[in-house]
Amino acid sequence: MKKAIHYINQFFGQIGGEDKADFEPVIHEGTVGPSLLLDQSMKEVSVTHTVICGDNFMASHPEEAVSRILSMLEGLEFDMFIAGPAFLAGRYGTACGTICKAVQEKFNVPVFSSMNVENPGVEMFKGHLYIFEGGRRATYMKQDIEKLASFADKIAKGEKILPASIEGYFPRGIRHEVFLEDLGLEPKMAADRAVDMLVKKLTGQEFITELPIPKQDRVDIAPAVADLRKVKIALVTSGGIVPRENPDHIQSCSATKWGEYDVSKLDRLPAPEYKTIHAGYDPEQADKNPNVVVPLDAIRAYQKEGRIGEVDDYFYTTVGTGTTQGEAARMGKEIAEKLKERGVSAVILTST
Amino acid sequence: MKLEIGKFFVKDIVFGDETAYNNGILTINKEEALQVVMEDSHMTEADLHIVRPGDEVRLVPVKDAFEMRCKVSGSEGVYPGCTSPVAPVGFGRTHALAGCSLLVVGKHWGSFQDGLIDMSGPAQRNTIYGLMPNLVLVGDTDEEFERREQQKKNKALRWAGMRLSEYVGRCVKDMTPESIETWDLEPVNRRTSEVQQLPSVVYVAQPQTQMEAMGYNTLVYGWDGNHMLPTFMHPNEILDGAVVSGSFMPVSSKISTYEWVNNPTVKRLMKEHGKTINFLGVIMSNLNVVMEEKIRSANMVARMALNLGADGAIVAEEGYGNPDVDYIQTIVELENVGIKTVGLSNECTGRDGASQPLVALDEKATALVSSGNVSQIHELPPMKTVLGELESLARDGLSGGWEGCVREDGSIIMENNAMFCADHISGFSVKTCADF
Repeated sequence: MKKAIHYINQFFGQIGGEDKADFEPVIHEGTVGPSLLLDQSMKEVSVTHTVICGDNFMASHPEEAVSRILSMLEGLEFDMFIAGPAFLAGRYGTACGTICKAVQEKFNVPVFSSMNVENPGVEMFKGHLYIFEGGRRATYMKQDIEKLASFADKIAKGEKILPASIEGYFPRGIRHEVFLEDLGLEPKMAADRAVDMLVKKLTGQEFITELPIPKQDRVDIAPAVADLRKVKIALVTSGGIVPRENPDHIQSCSATKWGEYDVSKLDRLPAPEYKTIHAGYDPEQADKNPNVVVPLDAIRAYQKEGRIGEVDDYFYTTVGTGTTQGEAARMGKEIAEKLKERGVSAVILTST
Repeated sequence: MKLEIGKFFVKDIVFGDETAYNNGILTINKEEALQVVMEDSHMTEADLHIVRPGDEVRLVPVKDAFEMRCKVSGSEGVYPGCTSPVAPVGFGRTHALAGCSLLVVGKHWGSFQDGLIDMSGPAQRNTIYGLMPNLVLVGDTDEEFERREQQKKNKALRWAGMRLSEYVGRCVKDMTPESIETWDLEPVNRRTSEVQQLPSVVYVAQPQTQMEAMGYNTLVYGWDGNHMLPTFMHPNEILDGAVVSGSFMPVSSKISTYEWVNNPTVKRLMKEHGKTINFLGVIMSNLNVVMEEKIRSANMVARMALNLGADGAIVAEEGYGNPDVDYIQTIVELENVGIKTVGLSNECTGRDGASQPLVALDEKATALVSSGNVSQIHELPPMKTVLGELESLARDGLSGGWEGCVREDGSIIMENNAMFCADHISGFSVKTCADF
């Protein structure tokens, strides 16, 4: 029998509702609440421990919560870590994703969860773990638990994991080739698949592309600024330049945070007071001279020459590597709000 | 234009006194066959072997595959412009030894476009040649100028393969075929109104033609495809030897000469003609390096399809990476003029599967068939016999091999990139790619 540890929030852990959402993490031997159902639904795996943590506690102290839970797991023997199902509960979904990712990184065991497609945890974590598509609310508990249980049994038996569409998890951004016969499908030649697809497309029938093209969220390039002397310009970057101590704890990859830093007294960004925390490029040049990423020195020179009007007091920064399109769009909107408040009408956006 | 392909279904190949076909058995007179191979003074040595599905045999470096066939009527040679004078094909009668192939293998030296075939074991099914009996020519040449080049024209071996396939094919020239496939397609403006009411479709072939130097690219009637603009062809020309595979593309993306004449997408479109579609014919395009050339070809394909009255198109790209731009651009241009289009090619998602599958993407490419992933890793056990030289996979710059990928015990680790024609972009592929 393989061993699983199950993570649930304060509500399903029978501690209480919203008023108990600050509940600090605990670990119980055996099952609590839905982990009993999970335990009973698995044939090859049993739940040995249940971790319970309040959603708010995880949301407001993620590092603290994660490190406490990881130390609780230290020394325990387990073959997999299962979190949720979290349904449509956003903080719960994010908590499941956060803890699963951390457990996988530390203990290198399979981790998986279940969430509704609209749970923000899906977009944030589907690239990191198997998240099964679940119902909107707890009335789907049985169905969602059963999906997790059968996947757990599959892992326990060492069976091959099939594509997302067959297993029912959200695609993780990974594509591999497969023989149709290995998926239990008719081994239809590509020639026949292409002609059948074309006939369907020509006759207005539904067809399924084998390579879905992600929807592009293109932004038209803005018209050129007519007179640079009449505008306020801001510097924005996804190149991860921050004050040395990275006061806002912007992540080095898969960022969800951005920062704004006052440079009104500076003519250039000095090193090592400023540096990059971006994990996606060689930092040597940027650490030596942060102005190669955030060109404060150049824009000040233009300002002195009278070629541009005003420079914003702040520069705005985040990290672009591994950052999801969803997170990037959210941060972009937030930064744009700030820029508008400060009367900025043109931006130099540097990427790396 | 009407073409008959008379088929002789080969169950097994053996060596014997006379090159002849009898009741499913193809017999090869080895000495006579090797004389045909050695007609070219650039061939320095050659030997013939027979491999069958289930044999513990690994072939590498495989240069090309041919169907053994001959022309009976209509014109003279099987490969016009290459091993016979330029002449039209696609009509009259051709006889073919079906269900088997001739594989051409370098005795020592491999190149970027060469590949590997296993006749048994886990990778047997990865290439159609693992599933049929094959006559195998293993040879070496005096082409010193390219001996240590990663890119090789492989001319002597490829031409030897064409001569040999025609020599063997001629043994059934005067026999009565076991079955006859008839491919008949009337001129586009001479079709019945019933046929013309069906949606009209073109097949757009993008053979690999990106080498600026001559001698490496796909040949159309012997003409280097790099010097071609998109042109209109009858499907029968494709099925009758007008196209000969080149010597350039990483091999899982290659369309072998065998696969050009057996192209299952063209055949299926011919079968659908008059039933669900009006098959207008083939637009033979190309693949280019320079952006302007890519755009020119894509525009010309779309214009040609539009003015032929096409409602739909299938675009097949022989390659991946840089030519994905030509592939997507052509699909987009066709969609831009209102032609509903399906693409057929492979992907390159990287060893972790996380890379963008095509170099270029566009939302207008709504219908894509995926025939494999060049980056898939194969770890394969040793085989008792190797035809060719196993070390070539690691030493000679084969696209899916690298230094150290061949182990002392003969086991290998490689990328699908070097599996011979494994993504079968001609349409034979029974693989797809899926999200994990």
